[in-house]
Amino acid sequence: MSKDLTSAFLSYYSEFQKKEYSLISLERIFGGASRETYKIILNDDSNKKERLILRLSQDSSLIETEQRTEYLAYSAFQESNVPVPVLIDMSEENTELGAPFMLMRELNGEAASPFTPNIYAPHENELGEQFWSILGEIAKKKIDSDIYEDFIGETERPFWKNELDKWVKIIHEDSIGIEPILEAGIRHLYKYPPNESEIISMVHGDYRSGNFLYAENKITGILDWEMAHLGDPLEDLGWALSPIWSWQDKERPAYLVKREDAISIWEATSDISLNKDDLQWWELFAAIKGMAIWISAGNEFKSGKNIDPINLFSAWIPGDIHLEIILDILERNT
Amino acid sequence: MKPDINIALLNAAQEIINRFSPLIEDEYERSRLGSWGALILISAMKFNDASSSLKKENGDIVKWLKNHTKLRKEELEKFESCEDKNLDQLEQDNQNLREILDKQIQEIQVKEDNVLFREGIYLMRSMHQRRKVSDLIGMLQQQES
Repeated sequence: MSKDLTSAFLSYYSEFQKKEYSLISLERIFGGASRETYKIILNDDSNKKERLILRLSQDSSLIETEQRTEYLAYSAFQESNVPVPVLIDMSEENTELGAPFMLMRELNGEAASPFTPNIYAPHENELGEQFWSILGEIAKKKIDSDIYEDFIGETERPFWKNELDKWVKIIHEDSIGIEPILEAGIRHLYKYPPNESEIISMVHGDYRSGNFLYAENKITGILDWEMAHLGDPLEDLGWALSPIWSWQDKERPAYLVKREDAISIWEATSDISLNKDDLQWWELFAAIKGMAIWISAGNEFKSGKNIDPINLFSAWIPGDIHLEIILDILERNT
Repeated sequence: MKPDINIALLNAAQEIINRFSPLIEDEYERSRLGSWGALILISAMKFNDASSSLKKENGDIVKWLKNHTKLRKEELEKFESCEDKNLDQLEQDNQNLREILDKQIQEIQVKEDNVLFREGIYLMRSMHQRRKVSDLIGMLQQQES
């Protein structure tokens, strides 16, 4: 990584903690195009090791999101039943590190690729129980009023329309060509809307396989909250259940437990009784939202703004899968 | 007879994945180069069929529109002669045809004509099946392991 970032970080962090530090390593983590993520190991002046994660905004990222959104979402779940990293600092300025950033303690555990089958074996049942119950905990968490006010200020009702309008706008701004499958899916969603949720939850926005850390049979952290917002808890459930995250074994969403077990665990933890028609709407929505993200990635790549291969991969592979999911859902509903 | 372009791409991808990528110590840069190898591999697999797939897709859309809509046949005939067209021209025809198809599908959805909509889904699925690269995901995973 650039010496500029290394020296800027050391200077900033020493000043922030009022201590002298020496750097052991600073390595960029591959994957995830919304932020540049770095793993940093430091020694302080008493030779105590610190392991940190730095999330730096990119000039060009898949979906423009503010560091503040992610920071507030993490803040909402500190010391709760939802495991999240301990926050250290956040800045929306370019002054310290050349870009807005968020800094947190590194958690134990590893993240898996969402496209690798059986990645959690032999612990898929224990991890599945935790994965779906943590999502239930997110759905039922009462959000601190300051954080709630901060988020709700930007949110229009009904939630479903607010979210759908947002992602459809991105699709129509960034599309390179016309995709009749996608347009048919969008029309279906507007024509047959879900019931407006009576429950207002913090929605993670990208709760899925690959966005959590695990160590053997234990989930140690839920990551990547940059798309968090207030809304219908079924939005996260529909996204997490999407067959894209278990494409080579569709019976076990996220390559964990069976779909019906996943839903039962979520219902039991969240205390929310599921409306299956509404969930179906949110599952189609998940595919449309996914397409918006992949289209945006393809646009970044084609325009040369960000030629990270993950953008081309996103446009090709997940984009294809989500189109197939849209076709499957439309066919089932016809 | 010279080696084909897709063979050159295929070998380049193999070299990147198996030979050069493992030499890089920096984990981020190694993963990034490995991803390029995988994407070149996909390009190689799809390269030869690009033109014929577009011709087939355009032909299928024209046929479907003739059989299932009230569009004037003359309006569609310009898309039928494709022998002398290069890839860019075929792609342009494809975009025009997709726009026409989308409008027709929209009308069908408004009318809630489920029988015709199902025919539309059938066409769109066949278009997608021919075009998609996601079925190569298993092969990519094998390459990376």
